Amino acid sequence: MPRTSKPRFNWLGLGFMAPALIVVALFFLAPVIMTGLFAFTNMSTSTGITGGEYLLTQSNLRALENSGVSDETFETLSTTSYRVDEAGLARLAEQHNQATADEFRTLHGDTVFTARRDMERALKDLNQNRIRSTRDRKAAAELFTSSVLDERFVEETDFRAALANAGINDADHEILVTEAFTGWVWTTENVELLTSLSSSARYAMNTAIYVIFTLAFNVGFGLLLAISTFYLSPRVASSFRTIWFLPRVLPPVLYVLMWYWLTWDTGIISTFAGYFGFAPRNWMLDTATNAWVVIILINGFVGASLGMILFSSAIKAIPSSMLYASEVDGANRWQQVRYIILPQLRWPILFTSSYQTLSLLTSFEYILLATDGGPGGTTEVWALAAYHTALNNYGGNLQYGLGAAYALVLVIIGIITSLLYLRFFNFRELVSKPRIEN
Amino acid sequence: MKHLTLGTTALVAALSAFTAPAFAKDLTVTVWAGGTNEADAYRIENIEIAADILEREYAIMGEELNITIEGRRDFGGWEEFKQGVTLAAEAGTAPNIVVTSHLDIAPWSQAGYIVPVEDYLDFDTFPLNDIYPNLLEIAAYNDVQWGIPQDAESRPFFFWKDTMRGIGYSDEDIAALPGRVASGDYTFANVLEDASKAVEMGLVEEGYGFYPRPSNGPDYAQFYQSFGGTLQDPGTGKLVLDRESMEQFYQFFVDAVEAGITRKNHLGTDWGQWYNEVANGKAATWHGGTWHYARYTGKEGNEDFFGTIEFSLIPAGDENGRANTVTHPLVYLVTKQADETDEEIASQLIKIASGPRLNSLHAIASAHLGIGQQQSNIELYAGDRWASEATDRLLSTANAQPNHLNYGAFSEAMFKGLEAAWTGAQTPAEAVADLETELRAKLGDELIVR
Repeated sequence: MPRTSKPRFNWLGLGFMAPALIVVALFFLAPVIMTGLFAFTNMSTSTGITGGEYLLTQSNLRALENSGVSDETFETLSTTSYRVDEAGLARLAEQHNQATADEFRTLHGDTVFTARRDMERALKDLNQNRIRSTRDRKAAAELFTSSVLDERFVEETDFRAALANAGINDADHEILVTEAFTGWVWTTENVELLTSLSSSARYAMNTAIYVIFTLAFNVGFGLLLAISTFYLSPRVASSFRTIWFLPRVLPPVLYVLMWYWLTWDTGIISTFAGYFGFAPRNWMLDTATNAWVVIILINGFVGASLGMILFSSAIKAIPSSMLYASEVDGANRWQQVRYIILPQLRWPILFTSSYQTLSLLTSFEYILLATDGGPGGTTEVWALAAYHTALNNYGGNLQYGLGAAYALVLVIIGIITSLLYLRFFNFRELVSKPRIEN
Repeated sequence: MKHLTLGTTALVAALSAFTAPAFAKDLTVTVWAGGTNEADAYRIENIEIAADILEREYAIMGEELNITIEGRRDFGGWEEFKQGVTLAAEAGTAPNIVVTSHLDIAPWSQAGYIVPVEDYLDFDTFPLNDIYPNLLEIAAYNDVQWGIPQDAESRPFFFWKDTMRGIGYSDEDIAALPGRVASGDYTFANVLEDASKAVEMGLVEEGYGFYPRPSNGPDYAQFYQSFGGTLQDPGTGKLVLDRESMEQFYQFFVDAVEAGITRKNHLGTDWGQWYNEVANGKAATWHGGTWHYARYTGKEGNEDFFGTIEFSLIPAGDENGRANTVTHPLVYLVTKQADETDEEIASQLIKIASGPRLNSLHAIASAHLGIGQQQSNIELYAGDRWASEATDRLLSTANAQPNHLNYGAFSEAMFKGLEAAWTGAQTPAEAVADLETELRAKLGDELIVR
């Protein structure tokens, strides 16, 4: 009886898939979407992540100087004065009591103070009605000014009301609201910045060098290990493989530390070379070439182990009869490798290459630990630049938005290459039903 | 019987309502200190002592306050600390008090993570009115006092005395060096000359004539200033790129590499190795921080600091530059909390912790400099040769890096340019040209190029 061709929807299946779907959405899709969104904002430490408030400071005033705000508004904003007038005294009476207000009127009625500090000192003159807490005294000082400078407003409406209260022309409110907003805003500046910076081309070039050479080493060395261990007795082979697996299972910090010991001018190579009269040198950071060789080796040894495992199992899957037959035909080892093993490894090699290209594009942890992009930025790859921009800054203002723009470029390249690979590998054919069962 | 009990309970309750303090508050104050090692533990412990004093003050005024201090300083580094603070602040769980670089004031105040301590503290009262005004200014931004300086330091230039004797300096000559540096008589041209001599005569190994700090830091701004550079325009508050000074500063490091007195790949040297080498005379000249004193004489085992090392300002680059030193004080900042009373108490705590006696505990234990004038009247401080000499020789001329939203981008780019020139990846002129493009793109109107 022919099976129905219409796929059946199965709730149980969806139930089984749910955890995986949630994980995919949370850890794969969400970061990509967030990177895409962040890249088009000016988000940084100073804007915060979760929104903004309204605050005018001296810096804002400087920025406003040539922005079309009327001179009158500018003047009003930049003069903070504290006036002991009846309105202020009434507010003081309301917050404390009438006696306090009366005493203060006697002491400083109709006085104008230009600095907050002077206003506070005046309030300390109160004797019979002392305002004992500093915090209350500061609050009392604020009752006598309508200045909006250095005051934070959570809501835009409050800020606009305060502007109106300070007697600022309605026409200028729009500019002030935009300037005073402390949160992030949407912008395409990051993309423009990336395309205009000369460093972008350098980072791209560095990334290409890093990916191509590391990949070549990974695959080449992985193949070499897999083939050479294939011809060893199983026990010896497995101990060799275990040894080559060590770089991957060592914690990265420890692994790179061992490279320090090996390569630095006080390290093993320099000490050993010293016995033969060579001056000590830093084999990791002396020149750009040194740095690249070390970085490619560090990453290469880690990556090679994965290739080794995949290739070894693929070689084991080759029917041994083929190898025996070739030996009967008089093939030597090299001919076996060239005409039997390598052709059979085509798919594993392609898979490893594509998989590793993608992971190398975005990986930077070993570079960060080893050279941190040095010497002189020659090993600063794209992903490392993204990290440095978004998460590492001695001066404190981290550029999340710009860093995300860097990362977005990697996301786009990653998606395009993945699609190309899928097409190239003829993914549909790979996942199609084996013909033998049809 | 039952009625009686009830009645008694009611009576007791009514009575205690009268006699209990009008105000009772239990508060846990968390203090996070960045860049803080064992020696700097007083950054947190002083808050604990302050809490005890403040509780007593409240008790005398009839109010019950119970403060529990939770300190934390085991951060992986500055990055981890700063990320931790900002993320916690975003999540609304920021620690009450943070000890951090004054450069964080600009971004954190803009983001609303911190509150101005001037809203809660009277700066006309002791000990706040005793703090050096130039230090207080470093903890202010946009004319608002956001924090209180926690310690002071400065970044001197060091000479190894034996090596200097070896190249022909007498003891008097060496003692005169700090004065000659300060007056601009001894410049980087002399450093180059003397360090080359030391290398040529084999007194130090090649690359050890001038042995700079191995990683980015405020120190490198000093060299820019040495060659006449300015970081911030005082009138407009904008950052300044002085191309000629920047190129001369880069050129000096290139010259130093060519002369063989500095290693081309010096940057990235392990800090542990670096400390050990400079503290024990492997380098002829170097630069560091006043707090290095504790490390040299402690862990690195230099038992005769004053007999082996001379220190001065960072020399001028040439006759157009100036001898200078950057101070990079850490500051106590109070973060935004849901309850303003918590902010007020945190502010009161850092005020008490800034008194001369408590601050001297930190200053001497960690070889930092004091923040207040009265500390010279505290025996513990005044009796310490390093603290008093370093304060005299360095702190009066020290300037800080500007509190500016874009200073981080500026200093990172400046260091990247230095790295490129130093390692030979670019010529100084190319590096400055790249720096200019990058700063113009990133800073826009906030940059003045000269």
